[in-house]
Amino acid sequence: MIKKLPRFLAAGALALGLAFSARAAEKTIKVGVLHSLSGTMAISETSLRDVLLFTFDEINAKGGVMGYKIEPVVVDGASNWPLFAEKAKQLLEQDKVAVVFGCWTSVSRKSVLPVFEKNNGLLFYPVQYEGEEESQNVFYTAEAVNQQATPAVDYLLDQGYTKFYLLGSDYVYPQTTNLVLLEYLRSKGIPLENIGGGFKKDESGAIISAGKYTPFGHTDYQQIVAEIKQFAAGGKAAVINTLNGDTNVPFFKEYAAAGLTSETCPVVSFSISEDEFRGLPAKQLVGQLGCWTYFQSINSPANKLFVADFKKWLGATSVPGIVKEGRVTCSPMVLSYDGVYLWKAAVEKAGSFDVDKVRAALKSGLTFDGPGGTVKTQKNMHLTKNVFIGETKADGQFKILKEFKDVYGEPWLKGKFK
Amino acid sequence: MAGSDAEKIRLIQSLALEPDADTPRLLDAWREDALYVFQGSAGHPIPVQLTGEKDERDAQVAVVVETGKALNDAHGAPLRLVGSDLTAVEHDAKLRRTMKEVLDTLELAAPDPKKRVDAVQAIGFAQNFEKLPALQVRFSRETNPEVRRAMEEAIALIQLKAPDDVVKLQALGELRGLHTLASFDFVRAALREAEAAKKTAVAKAAAVALSAIEQHKSAVNFFGTIFRGLSLGSILLVVALGLAITFGLMKVINMAHGEMVAVGAYTTYLVQNLFGGGVALSPLGFSLSIPGLQATGWRYDAYFIVALPLSFLSAAVVGIALERTVIRFLYRRPLESLLATWGVSLVLQQAFRLIFGANNVQVYSPAFLSGNWTVNDILFGWNRVFVIGFAGAVVFGTWLILTRTPLGLLIRAVMQNRSMASCMGVRTERVNMLTFGLGSGLAGLAGAFLSQIGNVGPSLGQSYIVDCFMTVVVGGVGNLAGTVISAFGIGLADQSLQQILLNPVLGKILVLVCIILFLQWRPAGIFVTRSRNLDE
Repeated sequence: MIKKLPRFLAAGALALGLAFSARAAEKTIKVGVLHSLSGTMAISETSLRDVLLFTFDEINAKGGVMGYKIEPVVVDGASNWPLFAEKAKQLLEQDKVAVVFGCWTSVSRKSVLPVFEKNNGLLFYPVQYEGEEESQNVFYTAEAVNQQATPAVDYLLDQGYTKFYLLGSDYVYPQTTNLVLLEYLRSKGIPLENIGGGFKKDESGAIISAGKYTPFGHTDYQQIVAEIKQFAAGGKAAVINTLNGDTNVPFFKEYAAAGLTSETCPVVSFSISEDEFRGLPAKQLVGQLGCWTYFQSINSPANKLFVADFKKWLGATSVPGIVKEGRVTCSPMVLSYDGVYLWKAAVEKAGSFDVDKVRAALKSGLTFDGPGGTVKTQKNMHLTKNVFIGETKADGQFKILKEFKDVYGEPWLKGKFK
Repeated sequence: MAGSDAEKIRLIQSLALEPDADTPRLLDAWREDALYVFQGSAGHPIPVQLTGEKDERDAQVAVVVETGKALNDAHGAPLRLVGSDLTAVEHDAKLRRTMKEVLDTLELAAPDPKKRVDAVQAIGFAQNFEKLPALQVRFSRETNPEVRRAMEEAIALIQLKAPDDVVKLQALGELRGLHTLASFDFVRAALREAEAAKKTAVAKAAAVALSAIEQHKSAVNFFGTIFRGLSLGSILLVVALGLAITFGLMKVINMAHGEMVAVGAYTTYLVQNLFGGGVALSPLGFSLSIPGLQATGWRYDAYFIVALPLSFLSAAVVGIALERTVIRFLYRRPLESLLATWGVSLVLQQAFRLIFGANNVQVYSPAFLSGNWTVNDILFGWNRVFVIGFAGAVVFGTWLILTRTPLGLLIRAVMQNRSMASCMGVRTERVNMLTFGLGSGLAGLAGAFLSQIGNVGPSLGQSYIVDCFMTVVVGGVGNLAGTVISAFGIGLADQSLQQILLNPVLGKILVLVCIILFLQWRPAGIFVTRSRNLDE
């Protein structure tokens, strides 16, 4: 028996080798997926992993990228920002992936940025962010502030609102966005006294922080809602909400209990998409506003096909840990999807997977007809896309109220509005 | 219903002048997406409203808007149409606001005084001079004091726009007397305007009115803060009371207390779904689904009343199971009990994830908990009033159990001296079990309430456990009265600091600093339990 063992091993090795050579005949290209699959951000980021895997399967079924099948390398950032940098290093240096799709929070993006710049990697970043950044190693499919926050304010101004209360979670995205919005509102002739939430000034008297901020996991919004109630007493007031995640629940419950409604004082939220509604009491948010570059309710054949295909894929997939029931699509998911196709188009235009050549192709103005309409890449590594204002319905979907066509993504907004 | 936006707005506005009994109904239908365009046989669109009960294919009776009669097919039988097949008549927020203005004007005659107040306010805020005569006519006929007050305010607000300074001064005097929060912006605008135009008399009157409103504002804030402090204190008290028993009396450092709260909250969620659309769970691969009662209206709202005792029971059962399997071996070893219960809390959190998913679940507040009373501009949310009463009832009930029942006597005896009680024939094991069950059940009750104001998710307990220990330690371990006082003290201090500093984070930090300093001064808390026990 023992004598036979080497022969078994040899046979096994041969079989394995055969399998490998059969695989090798099919050319593959490694692509990184860097999202939090555990920890606080997992609720949001797992959906992006799912949609990326779906996109890869869709592309592979149609012959891959330049004949190469996409081979995803999925790593878990675990909602731990330094770990994001380590995982990025592993993807670029060990796995030698051609491109990485990933990150949700701005702090995770800032954490991986030096790694991508050192190794000349390419990251596609899909989630609305505060701008004031333009790396040559990141392609921002994300909404810039002028593709979400300022169109929403334009809409409110157009509706005749003249008072704005700024409220957000205490971290870089809300703080920066609200400072930009403050400048924008001032440039539109809104006096400082009509902007609520309070200001912090430095010694020279310049405003360094505008609006009211609460930490993650804050549960008591009584005082803030009472303040908003007084602020809105004279009518024509709206709340601009950049609260993140589940702190929205106690806020909106308190808001409704105080008798404030979307008709007396609407709230426009920048961090609540269809996916977040799965954990929110949607009935208490009916009529409140959202602003994104995609809504699941967009009535176009391309979008209907995308939603149907994604649901079909969810039903069939065997990837462990994928939630199959009650799934929806949202803007960060579609921007991830668009990102993969734009990368594919850039590779095919450049005729190479080389990052420098792909970047040059991306900068040349590629277009892709995505579920949210046609998007076009820009020289500054951002994306021109359509922006939609929507109103929340009881089923957690949005009714589209207004569309801004082909909005140019502009990351540098501070000091631009005078 | 065609043409440009401006034309639509003008048409809608014209409706206000020739009121018709159908106008409010139609505008409401339009706003709520119940108006549709039906492509008639001749190819011209017919606006219809879908009304009545939906049948099995969601179809409803279609009523032609112009005639008010049911839409018939070629044979004269009424057509039933499905809303999703038709195009809803479009509208955007601008149109809706115009419709609301018209409805408001019509609603000046509404039978419900609340609606009349809203309508009057909307007209006042618009400061439209044309509406003044209509308002004054209504004012002479109005009898409801609340509506009269709103009308006085609205008339004064409109008069602020009068070209005549005498009228303006009179309006400012009126507003000074009324000192409503809503008029603040308008008086300030009038002040600016008068200053710019160098009308000193008007500017002075405006400044006086403004300071009257400011004064009223600070009074509102003062009483509002006290109320909010009481409500926050009540929440702390309800959550910490169970811990005051398991930690305070039994000396078990129960890190899984927060998870008992979560058990109560999830029970509320389950009961809610049983009253509504049913429960569908898939823990560990097998799926479980129970049909719901499909209740609506007040019957659905009654779920919360049913959920309260059930969440007490479910948390008590989990608590008793925990006591029987883990804690009873650790009564004399507090450090081990800390580690073991922490482990249990992790296990329970993971169990919630497996059963209910990692996402938060949605719990809707019943109607009787989601409104408010506004007395003199101070807001009393029903859920907040409820929690204050609820905390009072729970504390009173616990006090009754501990001091007026045989079980309470046994609990106190065992907690004071376990071995002596045992020698006297008390079945200490059973008393321990019931005491722990009582503490856990109280935590479950707290969970049922917390589901009404915040998130229900696997980490619900984590966000309250620190506050719980803080409240019990400050109050003095082993003393219920201490827990009550410390809960209200912390609640009031937190809300007042938030109000003064206008910053929720700084307020909380200062409260924690104060607590540390307080414990340096009185390490045993507000009330020190004196004991002859040599161990303590």
